[in-house]
Amino acid sequence: MDIEKHLEALSLRVSYARDILGARVSDRLETISEEIQALGSKADSLGLDEALAKTSELARKLSVLEDDLDALLTPMDKVRIVRHPQRVCLKDILENVYDNYTEIGGRDEVSIDPGMLIARAYITRRVGKKVIHHPVMVVGQEKGHGQEFRNGGSIKPWGNAKALKYMKVAALENIPIHAYVSTPGAYPIEDYPGAAQQIAENIYEMCGIDVPIVAIFSEGGSGGAEAIAMADKRLMFSHGYYSVISPEGAAAIECKFNGLTRATPELIERCAKHQQITAQDNLRNGYIDSVIQEPPLGARNEHFDFFKQLRSQVIHATDEVAVSVRSVSVLRRLAMRGSKQRKLGEDVIVRWELEPAERELLVWKRYQKYRKMSLQAYIDKRGIFERLAAKYMEFLFSVYSTVRFEILKHFQKKIVRVATDFTDEIHVVTSKMDRMTCQAMELLGIAPGGDGDESALTCLSEPASEARASSGQTYVSPKSLEDREVTCPHAGERGCLDIWARDLYGEFGGVCPNCGYHFPMEYQWYMANVFDRGSVREFNQSIAAGNPTNFPRFDERIMQAKEKTHLQSSCVTFNASIIGIRLTCGMLVANFRGGSVGAAEGEKLIRALDLARKRHHPFLAYIHGTAGIRIQEGVNGLIQMPRVTMAVRRYIEEGGLYIVLYDTNSYAGPVASFLGCSPYQYAVRSARIGFAGPGVIRETTGVDIPPDYHSAYKALSRGHIQDIWDRRDVRANLHQAFLTMGGRNLYYR
Amino acid sequence: MSRDQHKVLIANRGEIAVRIMHACADLGLKFVAVYTKEDAASGHVALARELGGEQALVRIQNYLDAGDVLSAADASGATAIHPGYGFFSENYRFARRVSERSRPMIFIGPSWRVIRDLGDKINTKRLARGLGVPTVPGSDRAIYDEMEAETIAQQLFDYQEKQGITRPMVLVKASAGGGGMGIDEVHNMNRFRQTYRRIRNYSQRQFNDPGVLIEQRIFNYNHLEVQIASARGGDDPVHFGTRNCSVQSPGRQKRIEVAPGFAPESLAYGFDAQKVMDDIVRHSLSIAREIKYDNVGTWEWIVTPKGEPFLMEVNTRIQVENGVSAAISRIKGQNGVDLIREQIRLGLGEPMGYSQGDVSFEGVGIEYRIIAEDTQNRFAPWTGRIDKIAWQPQPWLKLHTHVPQDRPYQIPTEYDPNLALAIIWGKDLTEAKARGAAFLDAFELTGVDAQGVELKSNIAFLREKTTDLLEF
Repeated sequence: MDIEKHLEALSLRVSYARDILGARVSDRLETISEEIQALGSKADSLGLDEALAKTSELARKLSVLEDDLDALLTPMDKVRIVRHPQRVCLKDILENVYDNYTEIGGRDEVSIDPGMLIARAYITRRVGKKVIHHPVMVVGQEKGHGQEFRNGGSIKPWGNAKALKYMKVAALENIPIHAYVSTPGAYPIEDYPGAAQQIAENIYEMCGIDVPIVAIFSEGGSGGAEAIAMADKRLMFSHGYYSVISPEGAAAIECKFNGLTRATPELIERCAKHQQITAQDNLRNGYIDSVIQEPPLGARNEHFDFFKQLRSQVIHATDEVAVSVRSVSVLRRLAMRGSKQRKLGEDVIVRWELEPAERELLVWKRYQKYRKMSLQAYIDKRGIFERLAAKYMEFLFSVYSTVRFEILKHFQKKIVRVATDFTDEIHVVTSKMDRMTCQAMELLGIAPGGDGDESALTCLSEPASEARASSGQTYVSPKSLEDREVTCPHAGERGCLDIWARDLYGEFGGVCPNCGYHFPMEYQWYMANVFDRGSVREFNQSIAAGNPTNFPRFDERIMQAKEKTHLQSSCVTFNASIIGIRLTCGMLVANFRGGSVGAAEGEKLIRALDLARKRHHPFLAYIHGTAGIRIQEGVNGLIQMPRVTMAVRRYIEEGGLYIVLYDTNSYAGPVASFLGCSPYQYAVRSARIGFAGPGVIRETTGVDIPPDYHSAYKALSRGHIQDIWDRRDVRANLHQAFLTMGGRNLYYR
Repeated sequence: MSRDQHKVLIANRGEIAVRIMHACADLGLKFVAVYTKEDAASGHVALARELGGEQALVRIQNYLDAGDVLSAADASGATAIHPGYGFFSENYRFARRVSERSRPMIFIGPSWRVIRDLGDKINTKRLARGLGVPTVPGSDRAIYDEMEAETIAQQLFDYQEKQGITRPMVLVKASAGGGGMGIDEVHNMNRFRQTYRRIRNYSQRQFNDPGVLIEQRIFNYNHLEVQIASARGGDDPVHFGTRNCSVQSPGRQKRIEVAPGFAPESLAYGFDAQKVMDDIVRHSLSIAREIKYDNVGTWEWIVTPKGEPFLMEVNTRIQVENGVSAAISRIKGQNGVDLIREQIRLGLGEPMGYSQGDVSFEGVGIEYRIIAEDTQNRFAPWTGRIDKIAWQPQPWLKLHTHVPQDRPYQIPTEYDPNLALAIIWGKDLTEAKARGAAFLDAFELTGVDAQGVELKSNIAFLREKTTDLLEF
C-alpha cells in the first residue's frame, strides 16, 4: 500500500522532469523510470522491508539526478518550469506561507478576473515572548494549476484595476503589500479601459503608494508583470524568469531578421539565453534584490521547506524595507545585517506600519532605487568636460530655480501688488494732465490724433508677429522631391484624387486634402513646423543606445540604425519654444529601430524630465512612433517602464504640465507606462495606439480584431486619449493647450 | 522652340475649349482636346475632330484629376497646357506641377508664384496697400485680438459716419473662409462683439483658425474690371481697357458686360468717370509690374456711387467676358483682337510685339449671356428641350453658342448654363444699346420641358437692363 504511494509519487516526479526537459531525453531518467515500473510490477513478490529499501534507493537516485539536471537547466527549461501546471501558485503560497487569509473579490471563476487574486492575509510572528500579527495585502496572478478560467495568469485590464484598487486600500490601511508576479503578460485587449491604459495607470499610481511593497517574481512577463511589480524589494524565485517578452515572442520577431518564416526551437533557446531572463541574470544586472532558492527543477506544492524559506525571506524583505525608513533603527539594522548568515533576523522586532514622514521617505527611496537601475546599459559618449559642464549646469539650474521659484515667488506677488498700486496712484495725476493738454490743443485748434486715425483702415498695417515667424519653409521632406503620385488609402470610399508627392509632403504636411488621411512624415518636419524657428536646442545627444545583453548580431543593427538616421538613439530631447512658450520635449523617432525604447532612451527621457522640472518648463512627449520596448535589451529595456514613469510622476507632482502627442503607430510598453499615464494625451489623425498589434492579439487570444481597433478614434472613445488633432494644427493646438491646461502652479505663468 | 513645334493640351470643355481651339488654329498650333465619357457628344469634341482629327482627342476620367490630365498630355506629347477658366486655371499647385515635373510643360497662364500670391485675397490686399492702391477700408490681415477687432470696427463706423453714409455697416468674415461661409454684417457697434465672437468661434470650429477680417460693407457699387496682358518676364504689361460688369443675378453671376467701364462722353456721372477709369487702369498696371505679372489677367474693382474705386481681387486667368474688351480694342489700328490668341502666344514665351501706345479703343461693346433661367423666380435654372434658336446675323454681332440651330437640343443638366454669348459692337453707347435691343428683340428661343412648361430665358431681363446700361 505504502509502496504503491511512494512509487506513484516517484513516477510523478519522473514525468514532471520529462516535461521540463522538453524535447531532450535523459537516459538516466528513462532508466529510473523503467526501474520504478519494474519495482511496481514485482512489489507484491518482494518483502516489505526490501521493497521500501529499493524504493528509497530509487528516490535517492532520482534526487541525485534531479540535482544534476537542475545544474544543467537552460533558460528555456525555466520557462517550461514556471508554466508547468504543477508549479506552486498563489493559493499554495497563501496556504503555506501566511498564517491566515481571506480572499477578496471573487470565488474562483466567479470573479471580475479570476486570474488576479487579492487576499488580506496575516503573518504571525513569535519573537521571544512577543507575538506580533502583521496584516498584509497580498496581490498576485493566480494560475490555479492550469485551471482554464484563470487564463494562465494573463490579466485583463479590469483585473489590473482591481489589483490597483486593493493596493490603494492597503495604503489607506497602512499595511504592506506582497505582490506575487506570475504572468506570461497582460491580456492584450483594448476595451474600457485598454490594457495599456490600465497598466500605465497601475504603474503611475504604484509610484506613489506609500506602504512597503515587496514583489516576488515567479513568471515576470513584460507589461503584465510591471502592472503590479513596482516594489521596494524585488525577490525572485530561482527558477523563475523575468523578461520583456516571452522567448517565443522574441524569436517570432527575430526570425524575420534571420530569414526564417517560423521561429525554430534553437532560435527560441538563443533568444531566451540572450535576453538574460533568469533570476541569476537579473540579480547580476541589478533588477532584483535577491533570489529565493527553489528545490531542484522548481518548487511544487509538496516542497514544504521551500515555503518555509519563502516565508522567512518575504518577512525579512518587508522588515528591511520598514527598517530602512525608520528614524530609530540603528540597532535593528545592525542586528539584521549581522543575522544575514544565520536565521534572517527573525528575532528582530519590526512593525510594518509607518509614520507619515517615513512613508514619504519610502516613496523617495523607491524613486532613488529605480533611478539607479540600468545605468550600465547605455553608452555615454560624453567626454569628461562635457560631464563636468552638465553637472555644473545642473547645479546652476537648481540654484536658479530655487531662487526664482521658491524664494522670489513669495516676494514677487507683494512687489507686483505694490507696483500696480503705485502706477494706479500716478494715473490720477497723469489722466488729469492728459485731459488738460487735450483741452489746450482743442483751444489751439489742433485736432487730437490717436483714436480717430483713419489711415489704419486704408493703409498697410504691420504684419502680425506670427505671420513673420512662420513665413518661408525650412524643412523639405526627401519624399517631396520625387515626381510621382500618391494614392490616398481612402480613395476608394471617399473619392480622393491622387496627390502629387511634392504637394502632399510639402505644403499639405502629408495630409490628404480631401479626406484628411495623414501620411507619415519625418520627425524633422515637426521640428521645423511645430516649434518656433531656430528655438530648438538639443541636449544629451551623446547618450547612445548599445547592446547591453550582447544579443547576437544586434551590434551591427544598432550601428546601421545610427548611420541611417544620424541619431544615437531613438530618443531626441531638446528645448524649444512654441509662440514664445519655452518647453522641454522628448521625442521618440520611429526611424530608429521603430522608435523602440531601451536603456539609453529611458535615461534621456528621465534627464529631460529632470531638466524640465528644474527649469520649470512644460514637457511635451512627442511620439513620432514607437514599437514598444527594445526586446533585444531584455529587462534593461523593460525596466524603463517604471523608471521613466517615476520620473514623470515626480515631474507632475512638482507641478509640471506633461503632454503626450502620438503620431503614426504607438504600441506596447511605452504606451503602457510613461506615455499612457499622462492626463493629457493627444493623437494626430491616423495615429494608431494600443498595447499589442493585431498579430499578437490573434496569437494570444485567438480573436481577430477589426481593422480600426487601434485607431485614434477608437482610442478617443475608450478614453485613452483626450482629443484628435490635424497635423497642420499641432502648433496652434499645442499653444492653446499650454495656455489653458494645468492649474495655477503652471511654471510659465 | 518655335511655335509650330508646340502642342497645346486644352484641359477644359465647352465654350472655352472651342475658343481655344479656334485660337490655336489661327496661330497654326497643334492641339489636343480632352473629354470625358459624358461629353463624348459635346460641341468641343466635334470641333476638335473637325480641326485636328481623331489624334487630337484623348478621353480622360475626370477634368479635375491632375494626374489624369497630365498623363493624357504625356501620351499625346503635349508641350503646353491651357487650363481655360474654372477647373485648374487658378490652381497654382497644378501650374507648379506642370512646370516642375520631370517632363516639364508650359502652363499657359501666369507663373505659379503669381497665381499663388494673387490667389490669396489678404495677400493681394496687402500688396495693393503697399503700393498705395485703394482697397476696401478695414483690416488687411486676420485679426485675432478682440480689443483690436473692436477698435477697427469703431474706426470703421466713425469713418462711414464722417463720409455721410446713412446706414453704416461693417462686415465680419472668417479669414480662412470663402464662398460666403462665415460672414455676417453688423449695423451698430453695440452688436459688434456678439457677431465678432460668433464668427470667430465658427471659424475656430470650422477652420481651426479664429482669425477674422473686418471691412466696410459697400452698397450700390459698380463692378468694373481691367483687362491686362503681359509677356513672360512681366516687365511691360499692357491693358486692354475697362469693362463694367454690374448687371448681375442676385447670386452675383454676371449677365451683361459692357466695355468700356463708363461712358463719360454719353452720360453724366456724379463723379469724374474718366479719372476713375484712368486711376484703376494705372493702379492695376502698378500691381502687375510689382508682381511681374506674366500673362493675361483681370483686376476686379468696385466703384462706389461717389466714384471711389477699391480693388477687390485679381483673376489670374482668361475670363468669359474677354471678348467684349477685344471687341473695342485695336492693335496698331487693326481690329480682330483675340485675347485668347494673345494669351497662348504670350504663354509660349513670344514677345508682345506692340506696346501700350499701339493699343487704342473704339466704340462700345456689350456682351449678353443668354441663359435658360426663370428671372421671376430667383433665377432658377430651366432645363428641357430647345426647339428653336435663331438670330439675325449682323456685321456688328458675334455669337458663340453650342446649341445646334438645325435640330432640337436637350440641355444637359451638367452643362454650362450659358446657352449663348452675344457680343454687340456700336460706335458709341447709344448705337450699341440700340443694336443690343434690336438683337434681343429679334432673338428667337423656344422650347419646352418634360412637364410641358415653356422655356424660360433671361432675354426679357437683359432687354430691360439694356436701357440704362452704364448709368450710375
